[in-house]
Formats: sequence, C-alpha cells, structure tokens
Amino acid sequence: MSVPRLCWLMLLPSLLAAQSRDRNPHTSPKDVAEGRRMYALFCVFCHGMDGASGRGARLATTFRRHGTSDLDQYRVIANGVPGTEMSGHFLEEEEIWRILAFVRTLERATPHGACATGPGSVGAGRTSFVERGCLGCHSVGAEGSGRLGPDLNGIGAARTREHLRDSLSDPGRSVAPGYRTVLVTVRNGGGEVRGVLLTQDEYTVHLMDGGERIRSFRREELSGIQFPGGSNMPAYAALAGTEMDSLLSYLCSLQGGALR
Amino acid sequence: MRGLLTLAVAVFPVFGQVTYEQLRDPASRPGDWLTYSGNYASYRHSPLRDITAVNASALEIKWIYQARIMEKFQTTPLVADGVMYITTPPNDVAALDAATGVKIWEYRRRIPSKVQTCCGQVNRGLAILGDRLFMATVDAHAVALDRKTGRVLWDVEMADFQLGYSATHAPLVIKDKVLMGVAGGEYGIRGFLDAYDVASGKRAWRFYTVAGPGEAGSESWQGDSWKTGGAPIWITGSYDPELNLTYWGTGNPGPDWNGDVRQGDNLYSASVVALDSDTGRLKWHFQFTPHDVHDWDATQIMMLVDQQVGGRARKTLVTANRNGFYYVLDRATGEFLHASPFVKQTWAKEIDGKTGRPARLPGTLPSAQGTRVYPQVAGGTNWMSPAYNPGTGLFYVAVREGSSLYYQGEALYKPGARYQGGFFNNERVMEDWYGAVRALDPATGALRWEHRLFQPPWAGVLSTAGGVVFAGTEDGYFKALDAMSGREVWHLNLGGRVIASPMSFAVKGVQRVAIAAGSSLFVLGLRSASEPR
Ligand code: HEC
Ligand code: HEC
Repeated sequence: MSVPRLCWLMLLPSLLAAQSRDRNPHTSPKDVAEGRRMYALFCVFCHGMDGASGRGARLATTFRRHGTSDLDQYRVIANGVPGTEMSGHFLEEEEIWRILAFVRTLERATPHGACATGPGSVGAGRTSFVERGCLGCHSVGAEGSGRLGPDLNGIGAARTREHLRDSLSDPGRSVAPGYRTVLVTVRNGGGEVRGVLLTQDEYTVHLMDGGERIRSFRREELSGIQFPGGSNMPAYAALAGTEMDSLLSYLCSLQGGALR
Repeated sequence: MRGLLTLAVAVFPVFGQVTYEQLRDPASRPGDWLTYSGNYASYRHSPLRDITAVNASALEIKWIYQARIMEKFQTTPLVADGVMYITTPPNDVAALDAATGVKIWEYRRRIPSKVQTCCGQVNRGLAILGDRLFMATVDAHAVALDRKTGRVLWDVEMADFQLGYSATHAPLVIKDKVLMGVAGGEYGIRGFLDAYDVASGKRAWRFYTVAGPGEAGSESWQGDSWKTGGAPIWITGSYDPELNLTYWGTGNPGPDWNGDVRQGDNLYSASVVALDSDTGRLKWHFQFTPHDVHDWDATQIMMLVDQQVGGRARKTLVTANRNGFYYVLDRATGEFLHASPFVKQTWAKEIDGKTGRPARLPGTLPSAQGTRVYPQVAGGTNWMSPAYNPGTGLFYVAVREGSSLYYQGEALYKPGARYQGGFFNNERVMEDWYGAVRALDPATGALRWEHRLFQPPWAGVLSTAGGVVFAGTEDGYFKALDAMSGREVWHLNLGGRVIASPMSFAVKGVQRVAIAAGSSLFVLGLRSASEPR
C-alpha cells in the first residue's frame, strides 16, 4: 500500500471500516441470489427490479456516472451521492457486495440481451444497409447523418437478433424509446404534420418532421394531437432470407465504437 | 439583558417581535406570512388583493434567489418585518431582504452522510416566534436559530437518524411551544409528534402516533409490529385556539406494501389526530385508511373551516386525502360528516355514511405480480398544500389522476434500512396520467371547476383575496387562475420543476408572490410605474 493511500485511509476511518477490498469477493450464484433479495428490500423503490423503471439512476446499463469499478460502486452504495436521493446505506460490507453482484447482472442485461451470431455475411449486410438507404434515417457512429431514427452504433450489444429481426420486419411492434410517432393537426387549415415526438409539455409540442425539421407548436395552435402508435420506419418484411440474415449479422457486428 | 433588549428594539423598531397573538391573528400583519400555511386554519390564503384575475397578465419576476442545490426545493418562505426566511435543502437557512432578495445571513448545517430519508433530503420551511426561527432537520433534530443572525440557540435530537428517523416539515408554534414530528415511514420507525419549549428546547410532551402496549389502539397492531409501525409526521398541522386542539395528519403504517406482518387497523397511521396543544393528549382521532397497504399517508393539510353542513353551522376539518376521498369531519368531536371521491378511485366500494370507514374492494391489495389500483401511489393529492378562499367559499386542491401497479414483497426489518415490503411501478400505467387544479364545495366535495394539467403536479396552490389561485407544474410553469372559474389568466416558464407551495407577502404594501422552482426561489409582482424600491 502506498504512503499517500495509507494517509488517505487514515483520514477516512469510516471508509476503512466499511470496506476492505477493491474487488467484489462475493459473486457466486448464491451471492447474486441473496443480493437480488436485498436489492428487492432496499433498492427497488428507486431503481426498479429491472434497474430501469425507477426514479433513481438507470442501472441497466454499463454507464456509471460515479465510476464503474467494484470499489467505485461499493462506495456509492455505502456512502451515497451527496445532494441527491441516493443516500448511504446502513448495510454490512458483505451485504453491499452481494447487492453489487446482482446490480452487475442488471448492467449486462440490457433490455433485450445481446445479439447472437447467426447466418449471413457482415460485409454483404453492410452493403445492403447502405444501398437500402438505411443511413437516410440512421447513423452508425460517425457514419451517416440520418436523424429520424436512432444511432445504431452499439445496437448489436444492446439487442437480440430476434428483436432486430422484428425491428426490420415489423417496426411498429416495439418502438425504440424516444422515437414515438406523433401526428398533429394545425388549426385554420394548417394541415397535418407527422414526425417523431421530441418533447411535449403543458403548453407546447415539438417534433421532427420527415424533412428533419424541428417543428414547435403551441397546443392552442393545434386542433388535434394523435399518437398513432407504430414506427416512422418502413417495414422491410419482404427482404429475402439471405439479405435479412446478412443485414442482421451486420447490425449484430455493431458492438459500439469510439463514440460511446 | 432586559435593558439591552429594549435598546435593540428601540434602535431597530422595524424588527418587531412576532407574538403568539399575531400568529393567531395574521390579519394584524397583512403583509407578512408567519406560518407555513399562512394561518392556523391552514387556508394558504393571502388577504392581499393587488393582483387580480384582470391584471395578473402584468405579473413579472421581481427577483430570484439561486440556491446552489441539486435536491428538490420545497420551501414555503416566511416573511416578517421586511425579511424573508427560507430553508434550502438539506437544512440550510437564509434570511433575505424581502424587497430585493439580497442575502442578509445564512445558516449552513452539516448533515451526516448516511441520513435516511424516503424521497430526498428535503425541507419545507420554518416556524417563527419572537426573534427565533425553528426548523426540523433531516438528521431528526429540532433547532432554534436567532432570526437576526442565524446563530444556533438550541439544537436537540428528536430521535436517532441511524434508525431511519428524519424530519422534513415546517414546525408549528403554539403559545410557548414549537411542535414538530418525525418522518421515516419507509424505515420501520415509530412515529411521534413532539412539543418543545421555545425558549429552552426542553421537550414538553411527546405523542406517539403508533399506539403501544397499554395505550388505546394498541389492539390494532399484531404482536410487536407496533415497534416498527411507522405513522410518521411530515406535514405541518393546524390549530384551533378556541378548542385548544392541534390537528396532525399521520403517515403510512410500516412496512408500506406488505400488511401481512401488521394485521389490524394500525392506529393511528393514515389518520388525523386531534391533540390538546398544552399536554399532547389525544382528544379524538379519525382513520382515513384503516390498515393501509398502498402507502397512502394522511399527511395532507388539515384545513379548519367553519361552515354549514347539512343545514347546521359546524366547526369542520376538511381534507383531500391521498386515498382519493375528500373528507369533512366535525373538528370538536371527530364526528364523520362526509366523504366523496375527488379523483378516480378503484379500491373502495363505499365509505360508510356513519363511521367513515371504507369498504375495500376485493382484488385491490398489492401482489407479487403487481395490482393496478387508482389512485396512483402518490395519491389523489399529496403533501402539496390546498387552499381555501373565504370570499369564494371554495376549496382548491392540486390533484393527481392515474393508477400505479402495487407490488407486495418481503418484509424484513433491519435497523436503519428501508422497510417497505414491496414497491410500485408507474412506468407502465401512463395512459390516464394527468393532473388538475380542482375547486370543490368544501361542505359536499362537489366539483365546481377544474383546470387540467398535462402532468400530475407536486406543487401546491395559493389563494388570494384578489380572486386568484396560483399553481405550479411539473414542467416548470407557474400560473394564475381565476378563482371563480379556473380560467388561466397568466403563466410563466420558471425553468425547473415546481415542487413547493406558493405564498404571498407585501413589500411596502405592494403584493408579491413567492414560489420555489428548480433550484431557485422566484418572487413575482405586478409591472408598475410606481415600484417600491
Ligand atoms: C431514494 C432513492 C434511492 C434508493 C433507495 C437507492 N438509490 Fe441508488 N441512486 C439513486 C439516485 C437518484 C441516483 C443518482 C445519483 C446521481 O445523481 O448521481 C442513484 C445512483 C446509484 C448508483 C450510481 C449510478 C452511477 O451512474 O454511477 C448506484 C450504483 C446505485 N444508485 C445503486 C443503488 C443500490 C444498490 C441501492 C440499494 C442498496 C440503491 N441504489 C438505493 C436513488 C436511490
Ligand atoms: C424513414 C426512416 C427510416 C428508415 C429508412 C430506416 N429506419 Fe430504422 N428506424 C427508424 C425509426 C424512426 C426507428 C425508431 C422507431 C422504431 O423502433 O421502430 C427505427 C428503428 C430501427 C431499429 C431499432 C433500434 C432499436 O433501438 O431497437 C433498427 C435495428 C433499425 N431501425 C434498422 C434499420 C435498417 C437496417 C434500415 C434499412 C434497411 C432502416 N432501419 C431504415 C427510421 C428508419
């Protein structure tokens, strides 16, 4: 142990008392099960059982504002984040480690699990991705500038193959978060405007129309606001089997790159 | 000492003492705001009439106080003698020049790192008497400050924060005592309300909101469950000086969503208790939600309205409860007079006309797979203040429509840790999720008008004698409504969630309205050529 580190620990005896290791020593399946139980007692209120549906920070992601190491997360759970709802916890060291072992499983369990490899060539998939004009609505990191759909960089790490297949053949079945379709009717013959909902509040509605223009309306200007459901993405149900397989392989290969 | 005091008063006559008589009769200081809800009856109604439904469009910001905070800003300021007193989370206090917002002094309190609170280290405001301010802290202390300097005069521990006790509401001063209670209904505490001597900080009495062995009501707790029974106090009570009764709403029984481990009615959780203000002795109680399993605290404002009910003049207590029903009780006796839903509710078949006891519908208890019930877990309304305008005779309340999925889970008590026995989910039930400001007939609960809000609000309302109701929204708007019709007459984007209740005061006789939003406090007034400077 280096000298400065030692001094620092002496200055923070409570931290020393609370935790004695850098890495989680309690990660067996039994630990995870016990951690899950305690998470359901002490954490679910703010983080949700899935780590995504609560009022606290999203835990169903690898992103950690306060650091990703075991020690970082141990400290957050034990001591809290000052000035936020995340308070420190009166839990034993072992209990915190076990809870963290469970939290780690949330992190990997991105909403749909990761993409499995399958038939189809990544190269051919990439070609058809470009030729089919997918970049008209999407970007993949620095490539392309389509804004009507989500950036697909990292999509292969976040979604299963089955989910991606559904996204292409029947996009309306599960619409990516933040890409809700909205259809507004403008008063006094202003016609209808369809687009992706950006935000709405007490007095206003904002959307991006098909020409990637941000359109802002006051509610009083509108005679109707509808959420038709469904996606703004055309269905690619008719794609031949091999092209579909290749496209999926290409999407699965997008594991997240430099921009993340 | 005496002589020095007289001298001080003589040199700074502007700093008059705030007396108990003035707290009783705030009309004697019409430009001030001396208690959390504006008067002992908790009207949150200002007698000022400069701002009206006609001229409200000329409202503008007069000054802003930026607090450097991330936590929710829930304070209701007090104003006395040209000085505004606010709390900023967790438990800092600032004295501001009421005309300009310039800070005169600040008290900063160090909070232990592992303070346990339900929903943030928040605080809703102060109480005042003489030249003292009083605050309840998130580490469950009662504190008195000198109102000219912010110096600590006394600081006493109400309970051990390491066991999950905290305190968030503005205290209430009655005569020579300051009353405040403890939060912690999510941590298996045993709730209580305390009264402290304003001069010394010595505890005068304590009323446990969870009946213990040997006390009336203890039969409503199974086994030892009373020890962790919750029933916290986290919103300011009311007071009737003639009856000498003080009324406090109590919170949920613990654990929140698993009632199996605490069979019985669980007195006095989810109730209003009427206490003798001198002794803390219970005069009567009324339980809104016996054996609550939805986290429907009764910590809403208990408003004291003298009115005709069923053709008879009554001293009533009225309250819009988190369980979705509006109640009218006789506040001298606790007699149940009326209840009717003020939001959509799906849990009670009816409220018994004689006893006020709800008949619970089957299939509404929390379950492992989640049970959908209206109202939502935050309730038909919550701690945000309602208002009553004696001029219009209407009761104004910010309401939350929608349902939640209520989940029952394991109930395991561990000192200082959450003890909730389940959880809830709102994400999948957003379709009929909206808010409103509603005006009710205070005797019958009948809806007189509604002003719909895009989101269920966490902001309370203020009524003014000028005929305006002020309200705030989740997306950061502050707005003025015509008190007669609910028509919106003005709004402004303040740029941060409004999670507080507005109040009103005067600067050199000219009306101001204050509201906390985001991390700042905004003070508004009418645009005018003859501004007081
Ligand atoms: C009262 C609500 C609440 C409870 C209970 C709660 N959290 Fe949190 N948690 C939060 C909030 C809010 C944040 C985000 C703090 C911030 O702004 O950085 C957070 C942040 C975190 C983080 C850091 C996330 C990051 O991006 O670095 C972790 C890890 C975490 N919580 C785990 C837990 C665990 C484990 C428990 C139970 C032992 C728990 N929390 C209980 C509200 C809560
Ligand atoms: C007209 C615009 C448009 C075009 C062209 C388009 N998309 Fe999309 N795409 C969207 C929108 C909008 C969404 C988000 C809504 C949804 O999930 O359906 C989306 C979603 C997706 C998703 C799901 C993302 C997630 O987070 O689950 C995938 C995968 C996808 N698109 C792939 C493609 C591919 C491959 C092509 C070309 C064959 C394509 N898109 C062409 C607009 C488009």
